[in-house]
Amino acid sequence: MGDRLFGGIGLALAAFYVWQATTIQVSFISDPVGPKTFPIIIGALMALASLAIIVRPDPRPDWPAAGRLAELGAAVLVMVAYAYSLPVIGFVPATVLAAAYLSWRLGTAPITALISGVGTAVGIYVIFHLILGLTLAEGPLGI
Amino acid sequence: MTLSSKLCGLAAGLAAATLIGSAAMAFEPEQTECIAPANPGGGWDFTCRQVGKTMQDLGLVPGTMQVTNLAGGGGGVAYAEVVNKRNDDSDLIVAASTATATRLAQGAYPGNTMEDVRWIGSVGADYGIIAVAKDSPVNTLPELMDKVKNDPTSVAFAGGSAVGGWDHLKVLIVAEKSGIEDARKVKYVAFDGGGEAVTQLLAGSVQAFTGDASEAKGFVDSGDIKVLAVLSPDRLEGDFSQFPTAKEQGIDAVGANWRGFYGPGGMTDDAYDYWVGAIGAVYNSEEWKKIMETNGLAPLDLQGAAFQDFVAQSISQIQDISREIGLIK
Amino acid sequence: MDVFSSLAHGFAVALTFQNIFLALIGCFLGTIIGALPGLGPSNGVAILIPLAFSLGLDATAALILLTSVYYGAMYGGRISSILLNIPGDEPALMTTLDGYPMARKGQAGEALSISGIASFVGAFFATWGLVFLAPQLVKVALLFGPAEYFALFALAFATLGGVSSTNQAKAAFAAALGLGIAMIGVDGQTGVPRFAFGEVHLYDGIDFLVAIVGLFALSEVLIFLEHRGDGSGEGKHAQVGMGRIVPSWSMIRFCTPAMLRSTVLGFVAGVLPGAGASLGSFLAYSTEKAVSDREGTFGKGDVRGVAAPEAGNNAAAGGALVPMLALGVPGSGTTAVLLAVLLSLNITPGPLLFQQNPDVVWGLIAALFIGNLMLLAMNIPMVGMFARVLMIPPRFLMPIVAMVSFVGIYGISGSTFDLLVMVVFGVLGWGLRKLDVPLVPVILGILLGNLMEANLRRAMTISDGDWSVLVSSPLAVGLWIVAIVGFVLPIVVGKALKNRMHMAKEEPGSTVD
Repeated sequence: MGDRLFGGIGLALAAFYVWQATTIQVSFISDPVGPKTFPIIIGALMALASLAIIVRPDPRPDWPAAGRLAELGAAVLVMVAYAYSLPVIGFVPATVLAAAYLSWRLGTAPITALISGVGTAVGIYVIFHLILGLTLAEGPLGI
Repeated sequence: MTLSSKLCGLAAGLAAATLIGSAAMAFEPEQTECIAPANPGGGWDFTCRQVGKTMQDLGLVPGTMQVTNLAGGGGGVAYAEVVNKRNDDSDLIVAASTATATRLAQGAYPGNTMEDVRWIGSVGADYGIIAVAKDSPVNTLPELMDKVKNDPTSVAFAGGSAVGGWDHLKVLIVAEKSGIEDARKVKYVAFDGGGEAVTQLLAGSVQAFTGDASEAKGFVDSGDIKVLAVLSPDRLEGDFSQFPTAKEQGIDAVGANWRGFYGPGGMTDDAYDYWVGAIGAVYNSEEWKKIMETNGLAPLDLQGAAFQDFVAQSISQIQDISREIGLIK
Repeated sequence: MDVFSSLAHGFAVALTFQNIFLALIGCFLGTIIGALPGLGPSNGVAILIPLAFSLGLDATAALILLTSVYYGAMYGGRISSILLNIPGDEPALMTTLDGYPMARKGQAGEALSISGIASFVGAFFATWGLVFLAPQLVKVALLFGPAEYFALFALAFATLGGVSSTNQAKAAFAAALGLGIAMIGVDGQTGVPRFAFGEVHLYDGIDFLVAIVGLFALSEVLIFLEHRGDGSGEGKHAQVGMGRIVPSWSMIRFCTPAMLRSTVLGFVAGVLPGAGASLGSFLAYSTEKAVSDREGTFGKGDVRGVAAPEAGNNAAAGGALVPMLALGVPGSGTTAVLLAVLLSLNITPGPLLFQQNPDVVWGLIAALFIGNLMLLAMNIPMVGMFARVLMIPPRFLMPIVAMVSFVGIYGISGSTFDLLVMVVFGVLGWGLRKLDVPLVPVILGILLGNLMEANLRRAMTISDGDWSVLVSSPLAVGLWIVAIVGFVLPIVVGKALKNRMHMAKEEPGSTVD
């Protein structure tokens, strides 16, 4: 994806944004400017910036190969799964798994990755929960 | 507040205290929890933490009461969580206030109504005030409202809530009661919190201030602002006793920002009675009296069914006025 | 009672064994909270409130603890900005611009220590400002009505072009994106939901901490993952070096004018309610760049680009205490939390606070001086320890960064939805970085978008829809002139000049795509 395509996406986004702004329900009572005006101005600014990007594009960035992209996609999926699993299986188990996965994918041997995952989870649990007193997600194990 | 109503409150408190003795046998709370539907530091958070601490100090709950912050949607996220996921939890209470009632009234918690939860009790109220800067030529509430009547653009009210929020509704209630027909013409400017609104009053950007008594206390004490009216049924106690109520000036408007709690709708009756008693006992404790004083909370002693009715009434009043000005259909 | 005897009295209040111990704990915890992505000063103060209450501290002691955390967090935010290119909290955002490049040039130690000194200078003079100028400064705050605030925020955005030098169109796009994201949620003026698509979680809008952590921290993790095993690329850590721990005297002297200018700017920005520390550090950085970036070294690891925002945000932190104490109006998220604490301790901030509670006020001010010295003493020797973070191999460090980011957000809001939003921001941040779109304007847009719009609409409500209200006071006109003459014109003129030179140079066979 070069800058031309990026500018095109920006334009589409700006158009979508302005369209959404015009659908904002204005209640019966409102101020002189109203809730739509400012978003529409923002949309216009975004469209102008996108046009300028299309007219004067920078050199194309190096996008990763498909394999690497899949790697990134998997990491994102793990993060999403982590977010969902936190309240279900509890903070420490979820964090061990997610941290170990990331560490493994960044090039650590699986066993070491697991150990570092445990270390990360326990360390964070001590600092955030025991010292700072934040409420972390509790799972069936109570941690 | 008169002596007789004080005695009434005391009697109710004693009744609640006895109630808790008997109810405790029917329901034993385990790990109690209070949800503050906002980030730490706000009003709901403080309600949870202070009531929770008082309950611990009074030995009403075993161990400590855990405070969980569940922010989002102006309390809507917590409301939905309690209704959908924690409906049977008898160990849970949630902090609420007039803001909760306002949002329920205006349908801002999609798909939820006040019947989805059980309303437990109040722990105090913050009455509304209408004020102007000290050098303003206006001296009484009727004078101010006459100015609004003659030329609505001449008076801009500043408040700490959004349009349609509680600070705005208070002005509209006053406007309605003083015979202004089209409430929408009243000029209201929304600021981020009462403090900012007062500052803009001092800066001369706006002509009047609508807020809660506690928000304005510092400026009232220093004489920087002139309180035209307090929106309470009777004169407040303490420093605010010198200021007349709106009622005294012939405008029958009352606006109380109450603080209280609700619990899950599927809570057992025993648990409900237990919590009603516990909140009542907190309300009547010396510790809580001190907290009310420091936070500028005025008495509002309602528990159980009485509180349920009060919330229902408060919601329907807000609904009426919101409908009138077209905020809801 | 004159100022000095009041202050002496304040020191007498503050210098008890217990209070010094509390200040030490507060400074230490604050530094850590500031350095952890996802936990900022406001959260840091809020999560320590229960501690203050459960210890049964009196008002002065509780305030000393919490303001030490506040100041500590302002110091701490720079650490992850410099070492990891991840702002530990929003005021440390601008420190990434030159701090991380310095670390990559092998000057992490110098960047950390000079920013520590700059933090001290900013906070130190701001505290003196609080002592002597509080009553006068309140009058400054009263000069700012909605129209003036709008002009001030416009000025902040006008300076953006100067900050991100690469591609103005992309900076503008980023700002628009940030502003657009800020609009999500219930409109503060009329209460109608905007861009929320019926999702109740979006009604409160997007928390800027969620955005910062996602855009900076998670995207950093993704970049590392992308470049794993490359031995090259942006993610390469090995080049990051520690350098000297103590900066040379000439470097300090070199930065002194920047620190002093930034202190004044940051302090004034802090005094204005609603603007806060982020605006302070932002204006400090962009002004410093406009004033002294002659060789175009800003953004590439100029030490003044580290000193300026740190002096600015710490001065703003002190400045923000002025409206909180003297008006009872919080100038920032953190002071809003402190205000709530004061109220719950039976202290009503406001015009009479200095007369009614001299113990609290002067004890607090003395504690600020003490805490500030402690932070300097703590931070300079600890530079070596902080910099050691860089010795941790990225394959262990990056998972920790990711997990800390998640926990910081989840621990405060308890919301899975926020975590998902954060992941979305992580992917967005990765894409924007690949496309060379600066991230700072996005954050600035999210931080200031609502304030800017709200003040525009307040001004227009007051004026009954008359747009001329925006230029109706000398102050507003002055701010507009500074914005246009000081920042917009140079870009337009400079660009025209550069383009001509560029075209002359690259005429033969130039390729653009």
